[in-house]
Amino acid sequence: MQLKQLIATSLVTAAFSFISTSVFADPVVDQPAPAFTGTTAVGGKLSLDSLRGKTVVLEWTNNECPFVKKHYESGNIPQLQKDAASKDISWVQIISSAPGKQGHVDGATALKLNETRGAKPAYVVLDEDGKIGKLYGAQTTPHIYVIDAKGVLVYKGGIDNIPTAKKEDLAKANNYVRETWVALAVGKKVPHPSTKPYGCSIKYPT
Amino acid sequence: MQRVVYRNWLNVLFLAVLSYVPAAWSASHQASTPQVQAELVSSTKQVVAGETFNLGIHLKIIPHWHTYWRNPGDSGIVTTIDWQFSKPSQVSDILWPIPSRFKLGPIVNYGYENAVTLPVKVKIASDAKLGEDFKATAIVDWLVCKEECIPQQVTLTLKLPVVASANIAKDVRGQTLIDKSLAKQPQEIPSEANLKQVNLEKTNDGMALHIPHSSLSSEEIQDIWFYPYNWGKIAQSIDQTKTINADGITLALKHGDAPLNPNESLEGVLVVKEKRGDTLTERGYFILPKLVVPQSLRGNSTSDIKLVSQAPDLGFVTALLLALIGGVILNLMPCVFPVLSIKALSLVSHTQYSQREILWQGIVYTLGVLASFSLLAGLLIALKAGGAQIGWGFQFQSPLFVIAVAYLMFAVGLSLSGVFTISGSVAGLGGTLADKPGYAGSFFTGVLATIVATPCTAPFMAAALGYALTQPALKLILIFLSLGFGLALPYLLLTAWPALHRKLPRPGLWMERTKQVFAFPMYLAAVWLVWVLAQQSGANGVAIALGGMVLIAFAAWLYDSTQYVSFKARASANVGVAALLISTLFISYTYLDSVPVESTRSAVKSSVNNHWEAYSPERLEQLLAEGKPVFLNFTAAWCISCLVNERVALSQPKVIAAFKKNSVTYLKGDWTNKDAQITDVLTTFGRSGVPLYVFYPAGRGVKPIELPQILTPSIVLNTIPSSH
Repeated sequence: MQLKQLIATSLVTAAFSFISTSVFADPVVDQPAPAFTGTTAVGGKLSLDSLRGKTVVLEWTNNECPFVKKHYESGNIPQLQKDAASKDISWVQIISSAPGKQGHVDGATALKLNETRGAKPAYVVLDEDGKIGKLYGAQTTPHIYVIDAKGVLVYKGGIDNIPTAKKEDLAKANNYVRETWVALAVGKKVPHPSTKPYGCSIKYPT
Repeated sequence: MQRVVYRNWLNVLFLAVLSYVPAAWSASHQASTPQVQAELVSSTKQVVAGETFNLGIHLKIIPHWHTYWRNPGDSGIVTTIDWQFSKPSQVSDILWPIPSRFKLGPIVNYGYENAVTLPVKVKIASDAKLGEDFKATAIVDWLVCKEECIPQQVTLTLKLPVVASANIAKDVRGQTLIDKSLAKQPQEIPSEANLKQVNLEKTNDGMALHIPHSSLSSEEIQDIWFYPYNWGKIAQSIDQTKTINADGITLALKHGDAPLNPNESLEGVLVVKEKRGDTLTERGYFILPKLVVPQSLRGNSTSDIKLVSQAPDLGFVTALLLALIGGVILNLMPCVFPVLSIKALSLVSHTQYSQREILWQGIVYTLGVLASFSLLAGLLIALKAGGAQIGWGFQFQSPLFVIAVAYLMFAVGLSLSGVFTISGSVAGLGGTLADKPGYAGSFFTGVLATIVATPCTAPFMAAALGYALTQPALKLILIFLSLGFGLALPYLLLTAWPALHRKLPRPGLWMERTKQVFAFPMYLAAVWLVWVLAQQSGANGVAIALGGMVLIAFAAWLYDSTQYVSFKARASANVGVAALLISTLFISYTYLDSVPVESTRSAVKSSVNNHWEAYSPERLEQLLAEGKPVFLNFTAAWCISCLVNERVALSQPKVIAAFKKNSVTYLKGDWTNKDAQITDVLTTFGRSGVPLYVFYPAGRGVKPIELPQILTPSIVLNTIPSSH
């Protein structure tokens, strides 16, 4: 029955190789994630390259956005960040609000906000000129990107599948971040590699 | 509860308090937030039982703020209305007036500013009693944004007395607001005599939406923009560059994150701002063009095409190779193997022939196979040219073909059992060839092998044939010939390699016994074909087929028992045999044709107990629109691998349980008979035949996942994401 196995294996390989990746607005899922270096809230520099070897989550945020509040006040994102830390996944919070716009904060305030919200991201990156945000085509807060240990973008989109600002919807929602982690952990294909992001628009400089 | 340090805490506190004010206590038709005044309006002051009228939510928005359309664009949330009525009544979805777009840096949103009325149609319950009040309550949720966004909810209530139709009066204010909104509904594109339609074509870097001039009687178009209904189909934030020429207007669109497949429709509204004289008019046209991939972009191996089409994009050489391997594997299929082993064994008994003669046997056999495959390819090309929707295995969609193959299998079985023997050569070709090594016999063995091989689609064949069917005629024929050559190859090698056939066991009684044993797979194949026929033509078809087999058995007995009688008696017996066979075929032909095809869906009739539902395009579309996960199985009663997969994988309790747990709807489509709609879907996935297994994960616009043609429970389980 070796032949049968061989056929089955070839078929599985063939079938999956046809499910290929996309060529749209940057960045592209299944392609290397664009490299960036940003200023962190503690005053240092963080480059994406330095995180190679670990799964990385990029989370665009704006503490005053009602959608962000939904996920922080309910404890949803803080819990995800804690779980990330325990799984050795680097969670990077990115704030792309321009000076004078909603959600723009300095490093000290950003850290203080996280402390009061029980949030524990591994890094906070201040992107007030919006360069990293635009590089990634980030549109909403929250907007999530997951990059695997090899530096390949494996997920981009919403945090879950119920686009509301209501906390009571969290229980019913399918959390795409967890789903992606599970798939990465067992080496499976990410079930929903690209989903609709939802939330407030990012307050880029005009 | 939280102690957040806000830079502008007063402002935030103010917004936070106001944004979560539920206006429920007001029980009024009006409610306000600092940004929006909402009002529930009606087209009439009273209502009539069983009649239809309009309600609307009128939103007055402060300057620079906006609410959202059905597709909010890159960010934002669609406005929703949850209706409750004192008497259960039917209410339509929101009739969305055409939106505007708002650009905030790199983000584009679709929505409304200043004021908008969102109308619905309501059909009052027919048992609403005169004199009572009809009470409508609307819980309206919206997100209002300037740059910052605030989710808000209000509850609006309106009481309208139920009256007789003679006493109904217009609500002037409500009617005016609703009419104004209805006037801004998207319309169908006006078509002129020679219906020119909007079309959508794939380009190297996106899509081109072409609107013929006759569709728009425009003097001066100020602005034209396409608003898609669904997320991800186009990149919403990228400018839709327009080109105007004599033919019309072309908008360049870019793919979004959930791009269209070929033949998938792009649904949305085309909004045109025209200057007619001094007035600026704005119109919306509902369009639904299918994505057409031009010939020049097909078969192109750039990753761009692959991704959009998802079709297996095999190179020609790969396809030839796959066809060859597929052909070789066909030799092992249960219906082909007995025929060929008998043929191979005959080499043993033909030791008196020279090596040269034996080689010629092999070559003639190969020619027989190749001739049959060319004929099939020619038939396919002719049918394709005729515009028929066909795919591999299409022959089996004809009950006549099925019954003919069933008879053939049965006859071969009878011959193997020794009920009759055809002396040296195929009947009817005369005795002159009989003492030669049976070249005609070899040729027809090749033909027979091809016929019996067709129901068995070897896995490698599927990919190659799927590719072949999309290719021009010459390539198609070459792929078919390669497949045929693969089928002929093992026997050809055997004849060409004397060392090999000397290794075959010595002749003896065991050959006779093996032959007799091989009769049984043939009978089983006939039984299976009769079962297929039962799906296609019902109980009558089965009766005809079994009756026909009795006649064939009788003819076989008559033929054999008169072999050694006088020439005259034998000649008349042979006439009788021929008459019997012809009448069998004729009766089958006339009768089968008149059997109604209504009952053919029986193979795929879902019942409450089943874990699957019958496929229909509408059902699939509905499930996908709801973002529900779907497992799609296209099968046919005559497809053996389909039936095996269903048995060993799809009907396994753990697979059924996994479907249930993840609320996956299992849709089964039956291709036993012709079905152009299913053929269309197969084509979309680059297939020409069944089986096809596709999993659509949950969520709208998510790319479907194709499964291999050989399933195991673990392949299926690994494809379905575990729910978290």
